[in-house]
Amino acid sequence: MELNINGQSVTTEVDPNMPLLWVLRDELNMTGTKFGCGVAACGACTVHINGQAVRSCVMPVSAVAGAKIRTIESLGSPNQQHALQAAWIAEQVPQCGYCQSGMLMAAAALLERKPKPTDADIDEAMTNICRCGTYQRVRAAIHRAAATTAATSGVTA
Amino acid sequence: MKRRTWILSALGATGALVVGWGVTPVRSRLGDGALMLPTEGDVALNGWIKVASDGSIILAMHRSDMGQGIHTALSMLVAEELDVPLARVRLEQAGADSIYGNVAMFVGSLPFHPLDAEEGKKTSTVRVGEWMVGKIARELGINATGGSSSVADAWQPLRQAAATARASLLEAAAAQWKVPASELKVQAGVLSHRSGKTGHYGEFAKGAAGLTPASVVLKDRATWTLIGKPALRPDVPSKTNGSAQFGIDVRQPGMLFASVRQAPMLGGTVQSLDSKAALAMPGVVKLVELPSIAGSTAGFAVVGKTTWHAKQAALAVEVKWAQRAQGALDTEKIKADLATQLKAESGFTFYEKGSVEKAEATANRIIEAKYSAPYLAHATMEPMNCTAQIKDGKVEIWVPTQVPGMARAVAAKVAGVDVESVTLHVTLLGGGFGRRLEVDFVGQAVQVAMQCEGKPVQLIWSREEDTTHDFYRPMHVADMRAAMGADGKVASLRIKSAGDTITPRWMERGLPALAGPIDMPDKTASEGLFDLPYGFANQHMSHVATRMGVPIGFWRSVGHSHNAFFSESFVDELAAQTKQDPVAFRAALLTEAPRYLAVLQLAAEKAKWGSPLPSGHARGIALHESFGSIVAEVAEVSLQDGKPRVHRVVCAIDCGTVVNPNTVAQQMESGVIFALSAALYGKIDIKEGEVQQSNFPTYPVVMLAHAPVVETYIVPSERSPAGVGEPAVPPLAPAVANALFALTGQRQRALPLAA
Repeated sequence: MELNINGQSVTTEVDPNMPLLWVLRDELNMTGTKFGCGVAACGACTVHINGQAVRSCVMPVSAVAGAKIRTIESLGSPNQQHALQAAWIAEQVPQCGYCQSGMLMAAAALLERKPKPTDADIDEAMTNICRCGTYQRVRAAIHRAAATTAATSGVTA
Repeated sequence: MKRRTWILSALGATGALVVGWGVTPVRSRLGDGALMLPTEGDVALNGWIKVASDGSIILAMHRSDMGQGIHTALSMLVAEELDVPLARVRLEQAGADSIYGNVAMFVGSLPFHPLDAEEGKKTSTVRVGEWMVGKIARELGINATGGSSSVADAWQPLRQAAATARASLLEAAAAQWKVPASELKVQAGVLSHRSGKTGHYGEFAKGAAGLTPASVVLKDRATWTLIGKPALRPDVPSKTNGSAQFGIDVRQPGMLFASVRQAPMLGGTVQSLDSKAALAMPGVVKLVELPSIAGSTAGFAVVGKTTWHAKQAALAVEVKWAQRAQGALDTEKIKADLATQLKAESGFTFYEKGSVEKAEATANRIIEAKYSAPYLAHATMEPMNCTAQIKDGKVEIWVPTQVPGMARAVAAKVAGVDVESVTLHVTLLGGGFGRRLEVDFVGQAVQVAMQCEGKPVQLIWSREEDTTHDFYRPMHVADMRAAMGADGKVASLRIKSAGDTITPRWMERGLPALAGPIDMPDKTASEGLFDLPYGFANQHMSHVATRMGVPIGFWRSVGHSHNAFFSESFVDELAAQTKQDPVAFRAALLTEAPRYLAVLQLAAEKAKWGSPLPSGHARGIALHESFGSIVAEVAEVSLQDGKPRVHRVVCAIDCGTVVNPNTVAQQMESGVIFALSAALYGKIDIKEGEVQQSNFPTYPVVMLAHAPVVETYIVPSERSPAGVGEPAVPPLAPAVANALFALTGQRQRALPLAA
């Protein structure tokens, strides 16, 4: 099967029913995407499929063949952090950090859809579970990233 | 048994130990440099500090980071004393020596009233008790991250280790430069002398090794540049790009994956299983039966080439399970049994003051209430997992654990090797909350690896296994009874609680050599009830220890987590019964407890207690000490569609000297959200032995849209540091319940509140 992951073409021999999460983690050793619940309830496994936030633990890999898959590993690069990553550091969001890959991918999809989200937009889009209770910092960091992105692209808030 | 007699007998855990520490000289916790990993070009100066050739510092990290930021806080202590930037401190996992044991956690388990144990005001019983338990704990050297104790425990030895290293480095430089050490300056890890000579630590490390500095003086707090100032956590960047390594991220060449199924009935067993179809599935390697290990319920694991292959096959195995021999567990029955035992038995008295009997006999009125709290699961985001490899008689383990020594011991026992043959790597923990003080999954992983011909195996539980096979916070109930005097004031407070005690059960599972034939009274059962700060003249607090058979364990803030709900809700009831403002009522009872009063007042002031709120909103307050820290929380609550909604929680904390205010705020936020999930929704029900909740849809937790704003205010203090990871949890449930009472006039005495 041919997959397009983070802009690269990857060929892998897998059972078409296997959820994308386990293809990423156990076949391709891309461990940034986490397993939390297996039933699309917690969002730890969130990746982007053609720009949409999707919970990869219930997504059969056959359904995403040919689609553009983006994982946390390509959200930014050491030289060029994504605005959300910089905001996450500035707001000191993560504690244990386990859910944060999913949080960031959900937030990134939100910003692509709504570059300047309201609190209500954030409430609606961010349904990921965090047991460390980082929610208010997640909210602050999304607003911060939105503000910096707007500033750098010349859009006035 | 009298309380004092019991304390002394509890202190001498076993006779052999008494003799052992009687003849052993007090051991320094600095340790020898040989305890650190020998790495090319680096020089170890003691058991904690190694100096790299580039002058950076390598710290032996003996505590597990499960989100609480301990890797940062402990690095700050070392960076402060060595005068290096925080970024120049790197971490290496500490070894197994007893210097890395947790002394403060064991001292914290003593059942002393906090007002008798305040720094500078300790009674002689407290001093003797703490000294004796400290001795025992140092000898045992049990490395554990729990009890909100890491900074308190490391505060002296770690700063001492860093200051000693610094003094040795200065002496070495002074000898090389032929100048007095007192004339040297250190800035950002660079030594200099007014003659113009400069050099970094790495240049003097070899000379410093083996030196015993003449005098070591810890820095005065007035000269601190790091401690007490908000520091950015060095672990954050790796947690924003997927590179942070948790237990489930361990990857070894040729690794296999194992998926576990345990008997759905707690304590149950496998009667028969048919694995023919499962083993014929693609990508499946084998099935390994798992007996009960370290308290686990028996079951089996299927090994496959990926977690998914293993899990699909595990689900395809046809199994007949059997109930445990003692019969099926049932929470309804347990609740009834607790009520019966609470009534029938006298229990163990944890605290007594004045005469409650006399006060009750002459009372104008008696106020009584019954409180209860359910079983709870931990639900760490990272499900239980462990990777193990057994090759040539050696065992290698990678595991997110709070107890590396216990994990190593269970691995050795299961594999039938010496503990020295077990190498253990502690990964980052995707949450802990006490669940990772257990080693059941470590034993399982070793059991599976033993049958995998030298290949590494990663054993992962599904979320459903995690929820249905936890070591739960125990169900507890309490009878509260206050006698009102003729003056309209509370003359006495009597609290009698009942429920299973955690510590003896945990010792049986993880430290069987220390578990006695009979249970010692367990402080965790009564903490939050016997140790109230209020100046009621007559008090009596007792606990009836039960054994209901449900696997139970330490859940963030342990006994405080439910007992604070009982005590601080009932104190609120007393305020209402005497028609007093909840803050004023508490304040009047805190004249002998000024630290508590200051925390209460700070929270009330910052929450603008008494000021108008939007219609349909109300405030509630609760004050509670746990793990040496005092926290007050004011919750602002409304009802939406008949369900409680918490909008804002204002926290005030006195946790002694603060190392990293950023982490303190994080932990207040974390504790509030964790406790709110439990207060509103948390409960584990068991029917016919089976836990009814299984995954987040049936064990719901607070999500972002319903998360309150949490504000943190810290009381400045120069006392020794106390706990931070847990103390925000206990006051939350009563603060919310008290706000709901203010809003509705209805008193809720059972958790969860939104049930």
